[in-house]
Amino acid sequence: MSWILGLGALVLLALAIGHFLIALVLIIPTWRICVRAGFSGALSLFHLVPVVGSFIVMAVLAFSTWPNGESTPGR
Amino acid sequence: MGGEIAALTGFFGLTSLFAVVAAAFAGWMAWRIVDKTGLPGWLGLGAMLLTLTGIGSIVPLVLLWIFAFMDWPRDGAQGAPARQLGPQPGGAPTPAAPPTLAAPPTALADRRSWRLAGKVMGGGDVALVVNDGVPAYILTGAAAASPTELSLPDPSVGQPHARILTAVGRIGLEDLGTANGTLIDGARLLPEHGARDISAARIIRIGSVDLVLSRA
Repeated sequence: MSWILGLGALVLLALAIGHFLIALVLIIPTWRICVRAGFSGALSLFHLVPVVGSFIVMAVLAFSTWPNGESTPGR
Repeated sequence: MGGEIAALTGFFGLTSLFAVVAAAFAGWMAWRIVDKTGLPGWLGLGAMLLTLTGIGSIVPLVLLWIFAFMDWPRDGAQGAPARQLGPQPGGAPTPAAPPTLAAPPTALADRRSWRLAGKVMGGGDVALVVNDGVPAYILTGAAAASPTELSLPDPSVGQPHARILTAVGRIGLEDLGTANGTLIDGARLLPEHGARDISAARIIRIGSVDLVLSRA
C-alpha cells in the first residue's frame, strides 16, 4: 500500500516542478513588462499561484494606470 | 448509467464554458495591455486566441517574450514630443560628463532663456533660469554650490536630482535616479530613459514640486 503513497508523492512532486518551470518561463518576461510599466517586478511572481495567478497579473496590468505612463489613447 | 453520462456531459460542458469565458477575458486584458504600449490592441487578443488553436501555447509564449523585450512605441513617444537627446546612461547616475546636444538645423534660433517656476514645500516661490550658454546644469535640493547648479529647496528633491541640458533653442532633462522621481507632463522619466528633449513640455515635476516651463 505504501508504494501507492510513494507514487502519489512522486506525481505531486513532478507536477510541482513542472508548474514551477512553466511559471518561470512566464515570470521572466512578465517581470520586465511590470518594471517597464512602472510596477514592481515582484508582481510577476503571481504566476506561481496556480490557475488564477496569471489572471491577477494581467488584470493589474490591464486595468490600472501605469506609473511610467501609457501610450496616448487614439494614437 | 444515463445519470452518470449526463453528469459527465454537464461537467465537461461547464469546464468548456469556463475555458471560453476565461479565454475571452484574458484576450480582453491582453488587448488593453498591448494597447497601453502603443501597439495595436488586437495583437494581444490574437495572441491569446492562438492558445485556442492547434498551435497551442508555445507561439503565445514566444510572443510574450518578444513583447517584453521589444521597443514599445510608448517609449518613443513618452513625454511627447520628447525624444532621446544623449546616449543612454549605463551606470550610476553621476553629474559628470553631460552629453552634448547637437544644434537643430535652423537659421534663426530662439536664444531666450528657459524659466522653470513653481512652489516648493511651505509655499515659497521658486524660479529657475536656464541659459543655453551653459551646456548643463545640475538640479539639486541642496544649496547651489556653483553657477551650474540650480537649487530647488524642497525635501522631495534629490541632491542631486536631475541634469538639465541645453542647446540652441532646446532644453533637455535627465533624471539621476532619485527616489521621488521626475515627471514630464505626467509621464515618468526614468534614469534609463537618458536625456529627453523637454522643449515642448509644459509641466515638469521634480519630486513633489511642479515647475512650469516657459521662455524667460
